[in-house]
Amino acid sequence: MKTKVFSLIVLLLTLSLSVSVFAFDPETFVYVGGAGGPQTLDPAAAYDTASGEVIHHVYDNLFEYVGGDLDKIGPMLALEVPTVANGLMSEDGRTIRVPIRQGVKFHDGSELTAEDVKYSFVRGMLADPAGGPMWMFFEPLLGVQTMRDVIAMAGGPSDFAEIDEVDPAILRKAYDLIDATIEVDGNDIVFHLVDPYPPFINILAKGGSWSSIISKEWMAAQGDWDGNPDTWAKWYDLALEEMTLYDKANGTGPFRLDTWDKSGAQILLSRFDEYWRGPAQLKSAVIKNIPEFSTRLLMLRAGDADGIYVGQQELPQVRSIPNVAVVEGLPQVTNTVLFFSFTIPIEGNEDLVGSGKLDGNGIPSDFFADINVRKGFSYAFDFEAYLNEVALGAGEIPKGPFPQSLPYVNTDQEYFTHDLNKAAEYFKQAFDGEVWEKGFKVGIVYNTGNDARKTALEILEYNIERINPKFQVEVIGLEWATVLDRLRSASLPVFVMGWLMDFPDTHNFAVPFMHSSGTFAGFCGQGLIDLAKEQFDELIAAGIKATDPAEREKIYFELQKQYVDLAVGMPFMEATTHRVMRDWVEGFEYCPAYSAQYDLYYISKVQK
Amino acid sequence: MITYIARRLLFLPVVLIGVTLMIFVAMSFLSPYQLVSTYIKSPEELKNQSLDDLVRKYGLDQPVHVRYVNWMRNLFRGDLGYSVSANMPVAEAIARRFPATVELALFAIVPVILGGIWLGTISAKHYNRPLDHLSRTFAIVGWSLPDFVFGLILLMVFYGVLGWFPPGRLSMWADSIVLTGDFTRYTGLNTVDALLNGRPDIFWDAVRHLIAPVMTLAYLWWAYLLRITRSSMLEVMNKDYVRTARAKGLTEQVVMGRHVRRNALIPVATVSGSMVLGLLGGVVIVETVFDYKGLGLLTATGAQQLDYTLVLGTTLFYGLLLVLINLVVDVLYAVIDPRVRLE
Repeated sequence: MKTKVFSLIVLLLTLSLSVSVFAFDPETFVYVGGAGGPQTLDPAAAYDTASGEVIHHVYDNLFEYVGGDLDKIGPMLALEVPTVANGLMSEDGRTIRVPIRQGVKFHDGSELTAEDVKYSFVRGMLADPAGGPMWMFFEPLLGVQTMRDVIAMAGGPSDFAEIDEVDPAILRKAYDLIDATIEVDGNDIVFHLVDPYPPFINILAKGGSWSSIISKEWMAAQGDWDGNPDTWAKWYDLALEEMTLYDKANGTGPFRLDTWDKSGAQILLSRFDEYWRGPAQLKSAVIKNIPEFSTRLLMLRAGDADGIYVGQQELPQVRSIPNVAVVEGLPQVTNTVLFFSFTIPIEGNEDLVGSGKLDGNGIPSDFFADINVRKGFSYAFDFEAYLNEVALGAGEIPKGPFPQSLPYVNTDQEYFTHDLNKAAEYFKQAFDGEVWEKGFKVGIVYNTGNDARKTALEILEYNIERINPKFQVEVIGLEWATVLDRLRSASLPVFVMGWLMDFPDTHNFAVPFMHSSGTFAGFCGQGLIDLAKEQFDELIAAGIKATDPAEREKIYFELQKQYVDLAVGMPFMEATTHRVMRDWVEGFEYCPAYSAQYDLYYISKVQK
Repeated sequence: MITYIARRLLFLPVVLIGVTLMIFVAMSFLSPYQLVSTYIKSPEELKNQSLDDLVRKYGLDQPVHVRYVNWMRNLFRGDLGYSVSANMPVAEAIARRFPATVELALFAIVPVILGGIWLGTISAKHYNRPLDHLSRTFAIVGWSLPDFVFGLILLMVFYGVLGWFPPGRLSMWADSIVLTGDFTRYTGLNTVDALLNGRPDIFWDAVRHLIAPVMTLAYLWWAYLLRITRSSMLEVMNKDYVRTARAKGLTEQVVMGRHVRRNALIPVATVSGSMVLGLLGGVVIVETVFDYKGLGLLTATGAQQLDYTLVLGTTLFYGLLLVLINLVVDVLYAVIDPRVRLE
């Protein structure tokens, strides 16, 4: 009996060994991420990296970045890149004609038409799910931000609870406003912009999941909007999971979506053999999500994963693993910023502002409205220490709110350095010397789980407390939900956040950081909103309307200078990124604009 | 006995309303903007978002009692709501994840219980002798090891070094057959479905993925059962009737097997019941380390992301499970121990 059991065990183990020996599959690529799976696969709704990752492989855009170079846009589903020189863009930059490539097939076998291209954008705008990316079309085409704004333009209310409350005639008028912005002319698409918008082509380029091209006919066959001007409201602002393209797809991309296995947190893709550029080398791909780093790492070692997500802090653990390639220093268009709230509510906020007065046991509501306090904080931070000790050298110290890889950024701009004497000087001037004399106590906040940000704040704490023993800084970790809640009321005196570009243009940083209606202004209190209205809004509007590069440069240089001179916030990191893959992966191409970790179309696997 | 069971079942709705009410009360301490973090999961996703639009869209600004009534109304229509963190309806998420948990529990429970009882018997038989110390030390080490440490060690050895027992529920090739091929899902249990589909290769692949998590669970829980079995056996071994049995010349095997172990098993049955419940509720850490997508991981992720519809759904489900399993344990008592009458 015992020998039988023993021989059975040996047999089973041999079997399992034989399975693992054949792990190398040259035609399947497995990427294991760790930061969470996609929220939706609908291009009109997706606005997170994990969703963009999948959309990247399934859909195509009109344009792409050639060789990953952000300065070099080439045609994809378009035949040519419109310029004033080739006559496809009007002198004033407001009319843009895009000839559409013929003979391109969707995954269902139907052929791409100019009508599909128009439908893709119009349908996205009409659907406009809350918190989605469609503002990138509303802004250039109509000068507004949301479909609600368009309904208001058409004479309707903008604060309706349900869209059924709006008069159908007004809904029709709103549709007509949108319809007029994109015109089909034979095989061409003509965009009519409300004002010139130099980065509009970037918005349409690969990397922008929102400008993926979908099939009109297929959508209608799935029961979605069929183009009827009077019925669109039925699909307006649906919950993500109620949208047709939530977990289905029919694109023209090199891979088709086989399944989104939600309970297994993985996406299965297979090669689209009729891809207009010729089929990919890989036959299939799997995009998985496993939060536990050790498990991902073991999968990479075993060869079950071809590429995995590795955090910056874990990078030293993978550098010396045999047969694993680590590509570091990949540029990103991003920055991490220390923000100050100019008007902090006191009530209910005592854990951060203490007494709410300048008495050494707290800070007053307008503490950071004093430029000397902001400058004192900014000069106290040790930028070099953060870059080298925390970020392990992976990045650059910024020169203002605009990442230096973007156009129109003054890389010679004078910026803050770690200088405690200068910091002390500014603190002595703050509140007419009261800050220096009485001291202060403030809680500064990071979202728990983000250790790099915690350390950044600890560096700040250490240095500020060295300046004057009466200065007390407490680093406080709050859950993300609580951070979000308190951001909403501008209650965090000091907080750290990052911004990853939507499209590579300085405007995409100017608005969130400096405009009075930008994402961060709302979190920094009325004080900053007032300052922005007075100083920045007009310049930002002029910057995006300007078509002359020299003029744009002048405007953004000025905005950058003002941001630094006024110490509105303290950008302290422009991080680079990296990829960790097996060395049998070939054809790795990188583009900072792409959400996809690997451009699978170019990838192949060759065993060494 | 039937009246007893009926009475216990009648009590069920009260328990369920109680637990869900508690969650809603806890939720009333959260502001709408805390709840909206379910939709914006990290600072990086905070783009051009209008938080107020999202709050309005998902009705997060409604008072808690209104949400509770709505939730109840939907519940009666069989709708548990939609889970943002699982990307699917709550009922579907539970229906898909629970079989994985059941499968792990089924495979784990036999080695856990048998191994624990066996070790406990050895210890009791060799009370205070080297074998007792050895088995207790062995088990106590397992009990004191944090589960993620032992899980990771197993994963490193059996997957990292030997390549035998990979993480996940199935290998990639098997997954692609199960998810896209002509593979019929009967039960959601990979092993059972593989056999029903006539795919021994997939069956073996599923078993291969179960071995390491089962080993982890077994080793971690043996000490608990060992202690219960051991002390309970020692207690019984000193009873008069055992002395009588020995005195009348019964063999040691019969004394141990029939008179001691059988009577000593009653507390073990109680503990085993709660173990089954624990296993069915999902084992978060083991599921995390082995990337075994079961109910525990689902609930933990949901709770972290303040996905309250999911948390409510799984709580309801656990409540149901708890009441039912406790009932089964009580009935089992009556079967094992003739002195127990269910009234």
